Amino acid sequence: MASPKAPAGHFSILYFASASTFTNKTSEYLSAPVEARGLFSKLEELYPGINDKVLNSCAVTVNLSYIEIDGDEAPDLKIVIKEGDEVAIIPPVSSG
Amino acid sequence: MSTTEPPTYKPDIPSEPVTQTTENIHIELTPHALDSLAATRFVRSPSAGATVLFIGTTRDTFNDLPVSSLAYTSYAPLALSTLHNIATTLLAKHALTRIAIIHKLGECPIGEESIVIAVSAPHRQAAWRAGEEALEETKKRAEIWKLERFEGGDGVWRANRDGVMGVRVGEGEGAA
Repeated sequence: MASPKAPAGHFSILYFASASTFTNKTSEYLSAPVEARGLFSKLEELYPGINDKVLNSCAVTVNLSYIEIDGDEAPDLKIVIKEGDEVAIIPPVSSG
Repeated sequence: MSTTEPPTYKPDIPSEPVTQTTENIHIELTPHALDSLAATRFVRSPSAGATVLFIGTTRDTFNDLPVSSLAYTSYAPLALSTLHNIATTLLAKHALTRIAIIHKLGECPIGEESIVIAVSAPHRQAAWRAGEEALEETKKRAEIWKLERFEGGDGVWRANRDGVMGVRVGEGEGAA
């Protein structure tokens, strides 16, 4: 979980619960920089079908802060995910 | 498409408890058995006339289907911060004396404690209310996920939000 630092030119992305099941990974490195608006399409390229099955119901964090990238008017679409950032895909939670 | 969880699936969990503790707030995510007495001791105070303790244990069924085992995984740094935020808010809102929220990570045998919440306040009403709110907020927001494995082998990620079945483990296999 405390993933080691991403290699140069990359950010880390963490997958939890259904996202981890779908990708068969708990984390990986992807090349940076990437605009937040392009994140889900990048993941769809890597994991066809992930948008509909998983990402539609997920939230996203960058460096432990939630970003809002759902819909064309979302405020954080222009955020740039930079080298060394930690991104996480957060499916609906189920503690308790 | 397989309907069983990969046999290799291992929740990514810390081997030791992770905690965030201040004078009035104790937050803990732990792979060990939960200690409700320790939570009670943390919140007990001469200025508090009421202590409320909630213990959540894992059930052996979901929608009448027999559950054979359960495991919790978490984005620990974010969950700690979310739980601390919930505790801070409730402390102020209900003028609590102290609050502790402790959640299990990793395998949780059926019938054992998965969450312990203890709150103390000068008077009982605030303690009751805050205890309930702490649980509801935790279930709604804490970045913790429950994998239920049903007898017969299917594994399902639960979602608290809608009470529906959640996502069946194995649905995405072969996609990567």
